[in-house]
This record gives sequence, C-alpha cells and structure tokens, in this order.
Amino acid sequence: MQGCSPVHKQMQSETKDVREIQKFRPVFTVALYKATVDVMDNHLSGLLLIKKMPDSSTRMVFSNEMGLSFFDFEFTANGNFKVYSIIKKMNKRSVIKTLQHDFELVLMNKLDNAAASVRSNDRLLYFIFPQDKGYNYYITDAGATELIRMERASHKKVIVEGIMKKYSNGIPDTIGISHKTFEFNIGLKRIERNAAE
Amino acid sequence: MNRVILTILILAVGFAAQAQYPGYSPVADLAKFKTEFSVITQKTTSVKSDFTQEKNLAMLSEKIISKGNFWFKKDSRVRMEYNQPFKYLMILNKDKVYVKDGQKENKVSTRSNKLFQQINKIMIDCMQGTMLSNTDFNTRVFENRNSALVELSPVTKGLKELFRSINVIVDKKDFSVSSIEMKELSGDNTIIRFTNKEPNANIPDTLFIIN
Repeated sequence: MQGCSPVHKQMQSETKDVREIQKFRPVFTVALYKATVDVMDNHLSGLLLIKKMPDSSTRMVFSNEMGLSFFDFEFTANGNFKVYSIIKKMNKRSVIKTLQHDFELVLMNKLDNAAASVRSNDRLLYFIFPQDKGYNYYITDAGATELIRMERASHKKVIVEGIMKKYSNGIPDTIGISHKTFEFNIGLKRIERNAAE
Repeated sequence: MNRVILTILILAVGFAAQAQYPGYSPVADLAKFKTEFSVITQKTTSVKSDFTQEKNLAMLSEKIISKGNFWFKKDSRVRMEYNQPFKYLMILNKDKVYVKDGQKENKVSTRSNKLFQQINKIMIDCMQGTMLSNTDFNTRVFENRNSALVELSPVTKGLKELFRSINVIVDKKDFSVSSIEMKELSGDNTIIRFTNKEPNANIPDTLFIIN
C-alpha cells in the first residue's frame, strides 16, 4: 500500500471507479483569470487566458495588466507541452518545468486511468495517478461529490497543493496552487469578460 | 538615368511606407513636425482621459478588453486606474511606481530596474511629447490629414526582447495622443485608446502621491 502512496499512510483500498475524478476535469473552452503570483517575497499580478483550441490542445497566455505577455504555453490533449514564448527573465528550465507540472495538475491532462488507484483515509477519497516522477493526488469527500484539494508529491513528500472551486459550466471560478518546498503561490480568480466588451 | 533610379527609389520607399501603414505616408517635413509637436506639448501641463485597452492574441484569435481612467500631470506623473473587467491601479511618479492589485500594494523604484524605467519613460514621453528624442528608440513619423503616426523601434537590448515597435497615434488638431500600440515579437499587440480627453484639466497632485 505504501508503494502506491508513500506520502499518505494508513489508507484503505477502495472499489470506487477511478474515472469518477474526470468530472472535476476543467472544461476550458475559453476563460480569463485575474492572476496573482507570490514568489520569494515578490508579488506580481496579471491576466491568464486559457483557451481550448480546435486541435484539442489548451493554450495558456499570461500577461500583465498593461498587455505585455510573460508566457504562452501549449498543453496538448496527449500530454505534450510546448513553449510558444516566454520573457527572458522567466526563461529558465526550472521555472518552465515548475509551471508545466503545476498547470498539468490543474488541467488533469496527464492522468492514466490504467495506472491509477483509489484509496481512502479519514473519510476522504484519494485518486492517485503515478507521474513520471512521483504522483498526482485528487482528494475528494467520501461520495466524490466535492474536490477538496489536489496534490503533487514526490516519493517522499507533498510538493504542491492545489484547489479548484465553484465550477460553472465546467470551468472553476477559483484556482489556487501553493508550493510546500519554497514560497511560490499562484492564485486565479475568474473574470467575467462581458462587462467590458 | 541616375535621376530615374532615384525617383523610382523614392516612390518605392513611399509605397513601402504606405503598405506598412495604410492611409499614412512619411511626414513631409520632419523638422517642422518636431517643432510644432514640441511647442504644443510644452503647453500641455496635464491630461485627463478615459481609456480602452485591447490586447489582441493573434494565434488564439482572442481579444482581452479592459477600460479605465487616465491622468497625466507634468512633470512625469501618470495614474492609470483599470475599472473593467478588473480593478488595478498604477501610479508613476518620476522614478517611482506604485501598483495596487486588489488588496495588495507594491512599490517599485525604477532606479533598481532599468527595464521598468524604460517602459515607464515610454508612457511619460508619449504624454509629455518627448518621445521623438527618446534614445531608447529609432523613430519614424508618418502622417495623414488628421493624424501622425510615430513609430518607435527599440534599439536597446531589453526593450528589443519585448517589443517589435511601439506606435503612437497623435491627433494633429492638438497634438494629443489618441492611441499607443505595443507590438510584441510574437505578433500579438496591445492598443490603448484614449477618449474624452481633457487637456490641461485641473488635476490634484494628491492623485499621484506614493507614500
């Protein structure tokens, strides 16, 4: 049991269908978020546009409020990732990898049901998906009606915690990503765009 | 023969400019334009305006539109307040920048960040009419009957990595800025259009205070 979930101990096996977690997979047709990023005592804010493209890939463009783009990422439906553009200050392998894995946790686009398992502990269900390095956890209430939190973990510890709340037509209103090993937090709050257009 | 070639070259350059900016041709007398621009903008001590900002994401076929209020006051003070569809406040006061994003406040000294200083200078220059002498850019000026288009092409490394060019449309009636377009290397662009402009409006200094 520990081999499947080393960071969460004393969990029970569950017969729940692992595919049930797919109902929390966000359906980003197109959504605009106000984004705040706190990293190592620095605060920056901007806008994150997420759009599902005709080829089923998902594009994410982060810009500041005045329109200057910070990055433009593509996540394909089969789990590939591409950087279209990124400003020089952020163009570091470690930064890109961190953002890629953080957003993959949110997009739920790299979940292999065949390798996954469901376990329980303290009235919570843990949907466990092995990744290239470590695991992605999606933790729900006992009935799998509410996504309590998401986690990205190594074999030893939880690295990232995330939330997705208040879904409307498949799109979460609030998304949060919080790193546990260093100060790096991303907060996304959906913006209703019709007000200005 | 040489005269024929020269004529063809001049025409070709003229057509190229028109093709680049339809409806505009290179300004006939740049020195005269600079003088007029300088004289009138020197008389402008403040500008109060509304603005609409449109970011065009070419490959995503998407636009992000935001709106707000704008204030400029000599010397080197700008306040931009975004109201829709999000709240965001930015105050530029000489070499200081204040940003309020929701409940979070952030103060930055542009002295410690050269790129921030250069971007800050663009906005101030556009309003103060000193953009034609900004050495961070190569400048070309085009015009039609009502407007002048000032094309600022970055020459410094940091700005070149962010912008292909910044195009400022100036209303020839009063030499006020109608719009600022920032063209990014990716092909995306952001246009800030100023409306309901009030030159030399009475603007209190308190709007620009950074504590």
